[in-house]
Amino acid sequence: MHPIIRLTNRNLTISLHPGFLIWQIIFPLIYIFVAGFAYAPLIQSVPLGARDLDYPAFLASGMIGFNIMNSTLVSGIIIWNDRRHGMFEQIMSGPFTRAQYILSNICTIWIIGIISATLIALVGYPVFFDSIEFSLVTIPLIIFGAVTGSILFGSLASIISTRLQSSEGFNVVINTVFLFFAFVSTAFYPAEGAPEPLRSIFYLNPLTYLVDVIRAGIFGTFTEFVFYEMLVLLGLAAALFAVASKLLTRLDF
Amino acid sequence: MSCIIAHSLSKSYGDTGAVRGVDLDVRPGQVFGFLGPNGAGKSTTIKLLTTLIPPTSGTLSVLGMDAAREPLAIRSRIGVVLQQPSYEPTLSVEKSFEKYGMMWNVPKPERKARMERLLADFDLGDIRKKRNEDLSIGQRRRVQVAREFMHDMDLLFLDEPTVGLDPNARRNLLDYLRARVATGLTIFYTTHILSEAEYLCDMVAIISKGRIITVDTPDALKSRFGSQKTINIHTDGDPAAMAPLLSGIRGCTVEEGGIKIQSEDAESVLLGVLQILNERSITIQDISAVPTNLEDIFLRMVGGNAPDN
Repeated sequence: MHPIIRLTNRNLTISLHPGFLIWQIIFPLIYIFVAGFAYAPLIQSVPLGARDLDYPAFLASGMIGFNIMNSTLVSGIIIWNDRRHGMFEQIMSGPFTRAQYILSNICTIWIIGIISATLIALVGYPVFFDSIEFSLVTIPLIIFGAVTGSILFGSLASIISTRLQSSEGFNVVINTVFLFFAFVSTAFYPAEGAPEPLRSIFYLNPLTYLVDVIRAGIFGTFTEFVFYEMLVLLGLAAALFAVASKLLTRLDF
Repeated sequence: MSCIIAHSLSKSYGDTGAVRGVDLDVRPGQVFGFLGPNGAGKSTTIKLLTTLIPPTSGTLSVLGMDAAREPLAIRSRIGVVLQQPSYEPTLSVEKSFEKYGMMWNVPKPERKARMERLLADFDLGDIRKKRNEDLSIGQRRRVQVAREFMHDMDLLFLDEPTVGLDPNARRNLLDYLRARVATGLTIFYTTHILSEAEYLCDMVAIISKGRIITVDTPDALKSRFGSQKTINIHTDGDPAAMAPLLSGIRGCTVEEGGIKIQSEDAESVLLGVLQILNERSITIQDISAVPTNLEDIFLRMVGGNAPDN
């Protein structure tokens, strides 16, 4: 077995415990079925491209991006725990290179991101199945969003985990950053209608791009703007991955 | 062929030299003890030898391979138990053994067999289902050391492996290591518990302030540097009254617990002391000679009294 597969196997074993999976499903379920239907009388419909969606369908699709982001926190937590509990040093004193360690983390994020997206898509399916418009173009869009979004947010969590020394600092920073991403985005509400400068700030947030791409994939609303969003997502993911790899390579013992 | 050959190995952090010009030659099938006080450079040397960090200067060959060119090949054939605890908090003991074996590419049936053997050898059967985060420090250390034997290796680095172990577990571990060495394993063993080194090691190097002071077998070290003997005498005399009487005898001190002789010519000093005690009718309660051990030599050497190597 290749070293990257062995390390990925180990990463998945330590990450995919029942508590994590329950949290990954229960949390979005509450949003979709409680917040989604509770807010529906207030938000009659949400414009998306040339069509209107009901709010639960809009929210459920947004939760896929939100869940991908949340699940990729795992990457930061793996690195953080490995450093804190001596496993980083232990692994590096074994038959592995740093590049293999980094790539195994990326594989772990991909797998968890895709599992996460699939879980929420399945859970949210009854809510948005009336509006779905899958095609040969839109399904790759969802996969593209899941993969680039995983790398982007996983790299960000990795960067935070390599820079901070205390567990309190790690928790505070990671929660603050991801809370900002979650609520200052189009995951929960549309940018249209939001007051300025909030509307512009939404587009400083990579989660907005991720959610827009996934919605375009689910509801078949691919536009030129979504294409640019994909480019931004790709560029950011590549840049953050490069920074995370550099920092991990420099991590001292 | 030597397992480790280091020439002038050095590691500096800025202006601070953590390891300074270390030369080593570790032969196969032996336990090589690496002794030194805290901060002497033991752990940094281990990190250099295991290719975790690159040296600032010097050359290093491990198992016949150049450490600068083939670090991965070296790490594939060594085992390392670092001083720092290493564990996955959420995994059970048996799961962490299983995963560690998998990481080292040990075939699944072999993993299971090895795990059962190690759980028995290290007396970990009772805690096999416990999560690592729920273990005591000593249990965690035993798990960490035992886990390393999940894979095959030619050379094992142990950095103070008995820290946190109770005397029974410590002795069991030392005996286990002895048994493994008998099968051909070479061990590089750092400790500052000198009785362990005396019990286990075939060769001993003493490091202080990043430099190796001496390298030899424990017996040779004792005969080289252990010529100073120690004799303790307990009497019914008042220490305060005896002190001026014995102050003229070189190598003799009066302490609260009695009279202590430390001299290369302890027998002659003893005769002089006995004569004075006899003249003053001071009764001797007991006399004991303390054999020189590695600890005495170690304390003398790292205390700055060591002869040049």
